[in-house]
Amino acid sequence: MNNELFGFEINVWFDALARVGIIVGFMTVTVMALIYIERKILARFQMRLGPTRTGPRGTLQSVADALKLVGKEDLRPRMADPWTFELAPYVVFVPIFLGFVILPFLLDWHVRILELGLLYFVAVSSVNIVGWVMAGWGSDNRYAMIGGLRAAAQGISYELPLVLALLAAAMLAGSLNLNTIVVAQAHIPYIVWQPLAFFIFFVAALAEMNRPPFDIPVGESEVVGGPFVEYSGIRWSMFFLAEYAALFILALIGASVFLGGWAWPLGEELGRWWQLVLVSAKAGGLIFLVFWVRASVPRLRIDQLMSYSWKVLLPLTFVQIVVNGAVLVYDWPDVVLLATGVVGLGFLFWVTDRAVRRPRPRPALVAQSEAAR
Amino acid sequence: MRGIAKSLLTTLSTFTRRPVTREYPDVHRPIPQRDRAFPLLLWDTEIDEPFCTGCHACERACPVECMTVLMKDNPNHTSQGGSSSRRKIIDKFWIDYARCMRCNICVEVCNFDAIAMNNTWQGHELSVYDRSDLVMDLQQLLAQHRAGDIKEWVAQ
Repeated sequence: MNNELFGFEINVWFDALARVGIIVGFMTVTVMALIYIERKILARFQMRLGPTRTGPRGTLQSVADALKLVGKEDLRPRMADPWTFELAPYVVFVPIFLGFVILPFLLDWHVRILELGLLYFVAVSSVNIVGWVMAGWGSDNRYAMIGGLRAAAQGISYELPLVLALLAAAMLAGSLNLNTIVVAQAHIPYIVWQPLAFFIFFVAALAEMNRPPFDIPVGESEVVGGPFVEYSGIRWSMFFLAEYAALFILALIGASVFLGGWAWPLGEELGRWWQLVLVSAKAGGLIFLVFWVRASVPRLRIDQLMSYSWKVLLPLTFVQIVVNGAVLVYDWPDVVLLATGVVGLGFLFWVTDRAVRRPRPRPALVAQSEAAR
Repeated sequence: MRGIAKSLLTTLSTFTRRPVTREYPDVHRPIPQRDRAFPLLLWDTEIDEPFCTGCHACERACPVECMTVLMKDNPNHTSQGGSSSRRKIIDKFWIDYARCMRCNICVEVCNFDAIAMNNTWQGHELSVYDRSDLVMDLQQLLAQHRAGDIKEWVAQ
């Protein structure tokens, strides 16, 4: 019952413990770095400087924030449901944490490469919606309740386009094993064949992470922080940790499924450090894109959000999957994929543009009273 | 979509510009000459004594009564064998900066141009832990101009 870890033979249980420890430590450091980077980048988008005081160029700001959060009192409202309230952060945090297991960082650097890795990720990561609803329900707070239900509605409706967009890429690779998917892209990444699926994945991932412009569950101006209203201290910081860890994981998944992970454009023979540079650059680019969108686009309304997912993104992903299936079954050339992808993307842009520019239908009452006058 | 693309481009252009932030405690923005911080007493360098004769004009004009002035005979007057033409001179002077509302009336009523509003950052950065530390005595009021640390417009 021994496993090998870093060249040492150790008991499987110690092995598991060590791996969990590594993931937790890595995740915490990554999240703190991401928060610092986000604050700096967002500041530059607004022509500010961001944190500069704590440590050299403000690099210790996240550490200071974490210490402050850990030191804060953990409050629970008297009328809150104790079990639901206290368990909710874990239910949000643990699924995200489990998602780390299948990430293909580099050629041999991973926790476990599962044969059904993508399915595992999709199954596990959608559980955290339960945590959001628990947080909203357990807080005994109306804002939290509304926020939790919004999170559920949004999470479930964007889960579908996200999963189906990933599936479209997995169809091309013919596998759900993330390593195989990455290797299959050694020459041309799937973003070339599946631009539509990539765009839908990106939009749905934004919504899954509750990132602007899809952050209505936590919209400060409407539901004063949504399910987190009543949380403080360490529990609140766990929600935050989960949010940024999800950002990191989805960026890595996007980089491996659509951008070719460590394999493209330099192949497997390349040294490990170059692979690390490649993966970080791809994931970093996606994360930067997320921050960029956050700095630019205002928040959507809930009905706009819902109709965009169900009426626009979901049918287009279905079309993409049907086209992929036809191409695979009838052995059509790959260019068909590219052409349909580009046409679909153009159609998606056109629909979005039309929705954005269309004059708002006025409520019936206003129209009536104006007609009477 | 066009709107979204436009907003993305706008933020990208701001991303490439220099931040406009001034890091205040490290970088002081130059303040204008006519800036009006708290009042100061001025020092007559030719005769080496304050301009103020202790005439109480500013004390009476002060709308918030933040000043206390005491006058004495000038020991340096020519009749005593000194070099000054001032028969009377300031003995003690207190201004409570916590009470002063920086209205500039004391400067306008002064017949001797002996008082002026501070126009440097030292006149603004005055935070203290105890309110009584904001009651300035004669030495403190004179020190800054005596050291030549005031901008031109005030000193004339």
